[in-house]
Amino acid sequence: MTLHHYLILAAVLFCVGLMGAFTRRNAIVVLFSVEIMLNAANLNFIAFWRYSDNPALLHGPMFTLFAIAVAAAEVAVGLALVIAVYRHFKTVDLESMDTLREE
Amino acid sequence: MNEVVAFWILSAVAVLGALVAVRKRNLIHGVFALLVFFAGLSGLFLLLLAEFIAAVQVLVYIGAVGVLLLFAIMLTERVAGDDDRRMTSRGWSWGLVMAAAVFVVLLLPPILQLPSPEAAQPIKPSVEELGHKLMNPYVVTLEVLALLLTAALIGAVTAAQGVRMPKEENSPE
Repeated sequence: MTLHHYLILAAVLFCVGLMGAFTRRNAIVVLFSVEIMLNAANLNFIAFWRYSDNPALLHGPMFTLFAIAVAAAEVAVGLALVIAVYRHFKTVDLESMDTLREE
Repeated sequence: MNEVVAFWILSAVAVLGALVAVRKRNLIHGVFALLVFFAGLSGLFLLLLAEFIAAVQVLVYIGAVGVLLLFAIMLTERVAGDDDRRMTSRGWSWGLVMAAAVFVVLLLPPILQLPSPEAAQPIKPSVEELGHKLMNPYVVTLEVLALLLTAALIGAVTAAQGVRMPKEENSPE
């Protein structure tokens, strides 16, 4: 396995997440598409660390650890916001949240 | 050769899980496909000898984030999820084209320009060293992260609780 295998896999996963964020209109699905993209980025960190010249420094796992913690906080706040929005609009369809567009 | 086989199986699991999670109309099924994706990614971390990150991935993503997503779905949308008219094949193909364009134009050229080392050097298990590093050079980051998690907890509770209306309190239920 070379570094390229992992990088291309991470790029593919990122694009799958991107496609989800582009095409879906459910706020929760968009949220977990963003999670897929974040995880692809974490895979990049770990792959670069594994194939680096000095893996004993542990920069990759350390950054990934912090990224996972921040992503967990982001999911919690994001879902709380989805629930708050649902309470207001009675839907999680992103296309119907267009209050600012109305004149 | 075992590593190669494991890589292809795990990457197939991860990509298929992500695709099903993104495309599935039923949200509950989508979340379970997302959990399969997280599990495949955790296996890939294990393959890259980042055993602690693999464990954290299982604990945080499959454990906490999965349950959180399931609860959010139960609290909001009908379990069946989107109905038919919201997922036209036209919108989907445009999304596919955009994602493919980003992959080919933005992501692939820089990857192919990188040198690709064939064999990675062997490394020792890193959990103990990771713990030491968290205590010595990274302790400030750890504390800031703890602060961030506390703030996120309070913020999530406040946001999900919403503004309490006076008439809500007067209602019998």
